[in-house]
Amino acid sequence: MKASSRNLICACALLAAGLGFSAPSFAQNVTYNEILHADQHPQDWLTYGGNYSAWRYSELKQVDTSNVNQLKMQWVYQLSHQGIFESSPIVVGGIMYVTEPPTTVTALDVRTGRPIWTWTAKLPARLLTIGLFPTNRGVAILGDTVYVATIDAHLAALDAKTGALKWEVEIGKNSDGIAITQAPLALDGKIVVGIGGGEAGIRGYIDAYDAKTGKRLWRLYTVPIAGEPGVNTWEGDSWKYGGAGTWNTGSYDPETNTIFWGTGNPAPDWNGEARKGANLYSCTLLAIDANSGKMKWYFQFSPHETHDWDSAEPPILFDAKVNGKMTHLVAQANRNAFYYVLDRDTGKFITGQAFAKQTWAKGLAADGQPIEEPNNQPTVKGNLIYPSITGAVNWTSPSYSPLTGYVYVNTREQGAIYYQGNPTMEPANPADVGGGGGQKVLGGDQAYSAVRALEGTTGDRKWQFKMVGDSWTGTLATAGNLVFCADAEGNFFALNATTGKPIWHVQLGNSVRANPITYEVDGKQYVEAAAGNSIFTFALP
Amino acid sequence: MTSVKRWYPATLILSAAFLAGAPFASAQIPRGQAPPHEARPTPTPERVAAGKKIFDGTCANCHGVDGSGANGPNIRGAIRTMGPEGLYNRIYGGLIGSGMPNFSYLGQDKIWDVVDYVSTLGQVSNGATTGNAQQGEQVYGSSGCASCHMIDGQGGSSGPDLSDIGAERSAAFMHDELLNPGANRPDGTPGLPDRSTYQAYRMYRVTLPDGKVIEGMRVNEDSFTLQLRNAQGNIVSVNKLTAKNIEALPDKSFMPSYKGKLSDARLNDLVAYLSSLGGAK
Repeated sequence: MKASSRNLICACALLAAGLGFSAPSFAQNVTYNEILHADQHPQDWLTYGGNYSAWRYSELKQVDTSNVNQLKMQWVYQLSHQGIFESSPIVVGGIMYVTEPPTTVTALDVRTGRPIWTWTAKLPARLLTIGLFPTNRGVAILGDTVYVATIDAHLAALDAKTGALKWEVEIGKNSDGIAITQAPLALDGKIVVGIGGGEAGIRGYIDAYDAKTGKRLWRLYTVPIAGEPGVNTWEGDSWKYGGAGTWNTGSYDPETNTIFWGTGNPAPDWNGEARKGANLYSCTLLAIDANSGKMKWYFQFSPHETHDWDSAEPPILFDAKVNGKMTHLVAQANRNAFYYVLDRDTGKFITGQAFAKQTWAKGLAADGQPIEEPNNQPTVKGNLIYPSITGAVNWTSPSYSPLTGYVYVNTREQGAIYYQGNPTMEPANPADVGGGGGQKVLGGDQAYSAVRALEGTTGDRKWQFKMVGDSWTGTLATAGNLVFCADAEGNFFALNATTGKPIWHVQLGNSVRANPITYEVDGKQYVEAAAGNSIFTFALP
Repeated sequence: MTSVKRWYPATLILSAAFLAGAPFASAQIPRGQAPPHEARPTPTPERVAAGKKIFDGTCANCHGVDGSGANGPNIRGAIRTMGPEGLYNRIYGGLIGSGMPNFSYLGQDKIWDVVDYVSTLGQVSNGATTGNAQQGEQVYGSSGCASCHMIDGQGGSSGPDLSDIGAERSAAFMHDELLNPGANRPDGTPGLPDRSTYQAYRMYRVTLPDGKVIEGMRVNEDSFTLQLRNAQGNIVSVNKLTAKNIEALPDKSFMPSYKGKLSDARLNDLVAYLSSLGGAK
């Protein structure tokens, strides 16, 4: 996305905002062009990240810093399938598409929360979910089709109007430990989706499927095999079960037709003795040509990772001046506690710094590689290292506001004693595997979560809002200069995006373990949060 | 809360440190149900070792390598609150509405291995006790302990329940706590096992907007509010956004020190009595 075209999009969006956003013309039928210009359709939430740049930012500003404290609950939907609920809805033409755990898609009326249709995947009796929860984080929509990746690693295409199954293809064998929780990414005529299962000793990959037929268009493996470049970064044949899952939804730059997707940990997690080397392309950001599936460049954040610090966190795309020159950037707040800014055309490291306490590296070198501390590995007796296994941030999405230029990251401050265990693995054997060790976290009052505002181009911290407990909520930024998030105790709240000052909060009675969204219907802006096993929506009276 | 109440006492006195923290789950949460299965085989060191292997690979990421909690709750001592069947059911069926998946695919034998291993977590070796437990029970009765602590349903509830304390804390630890209460508070949220963990029984001094100062022990906290129990046992809710000042008092405790109040012999008797309490049931 070149700066000029984005400015044009913003101008259009601002114009539309001034006019109050007319009703959508497309009902349950979404074109690629509409997702491409999601900023111009803020009444809907068209793709997992809010837009292809994964901003999770809405141009809606009816709710702003002056009135957010008047928000009132509008409706509640209680799930028909209970479990870990981490879904971020898609909203299109008056319908909200939400996924219930482990793989049910439900279409709700956005005014009332009344269910319209529901579809549940047929799952194997012996379902393997090694190292992940049996849940789902959302759907993708393109045309009149809703796409969901099932927990047993199939891609299902559903009629957006009825929920009827159009087709279903196998992405990977669940019996090998491959499982999927992420929302797919719908591009022009294709559906991109990755896989989870790093702890099961899989060999990671990312796929693209024809949106009409389900035919696989390409597959990019994240671990090279014998004879391929990079295989020498794996000792012996450890590449065979190298992990490097692709388990969280990435972002997309239409100007260069490039997909940005993070990869997970190498396997086994906490014992790298049998996989000496950098272990490419684990814990890496991949830039992928969307047509061919070929890798354009890669940037490995954590070579030879041994703490389960996946780099699957959503990459955020924005443009800003670097050394006086407008530059295409990709930024990631990484689970390893560093915030990185790269040139997204080349993969070249521009800057980075820690955004949470970490004790494993002295800092980043000029090329962005970590200058590691000695003794930063798990040991048999246990070694205290920051951050903990779940990292300074995990799967939840940060947001980016073009108004402030800040990236809002729900950050975890916590250390852990890391233990080293068995260096070998038996792939897909949940009774034996292991990640080669484990952790004992330092809990108590010294551990906390915080929403942190990082200056996008530098990672400098501008403010933080501290929370009690281990929060697993993404952030939502809006043109009302607000940031929404929630704590582990069930408080859903709004902060001033410029200052971090809390303005409004409501207790929802259970943890919010999902990314909130916002949409508009009948001229009224709604804000959505998923707490416990329910969806709550709020609007001004 | 019924069967698990003894594991979630409301507060402190003989020092919260006697409790390991927030364990598995409360009785209100529906448990996963397992279909009819074979009775628990007799635990053996081999079964415990096999269970440890499964636990390390499958359970430790959430519950911590020693069961003290990580992404999931502390399960040390869960065998005492849930029993072997309860643990079997939970592992087999998971816990709807929580992060606990269904591990039915492990099969009966392996699930019992895990139960056997989990049963060993949180059991401490008591160490040598030189006192007389029978005399220690009298010391317990005459020293006012029961006004705050409960044992097998008898006694006060403002301090930790001590019914299983002998299986949870070493003699040396209890001895130290009686002399230096509050020195080793555990992390955990007594009474709220499904919530966040933080240091239990911590004392706070809060200056309210009108200048009034209150002091009490934390019974709950979230990002916006703090609930304290004051010396009278009343609970006061504090708005953290409007309070003038909130000061943690990590070294303070409602529990009096017994330093100089009990002779060494009587102290040892009391520790011997406490060490005799509880264990796997």
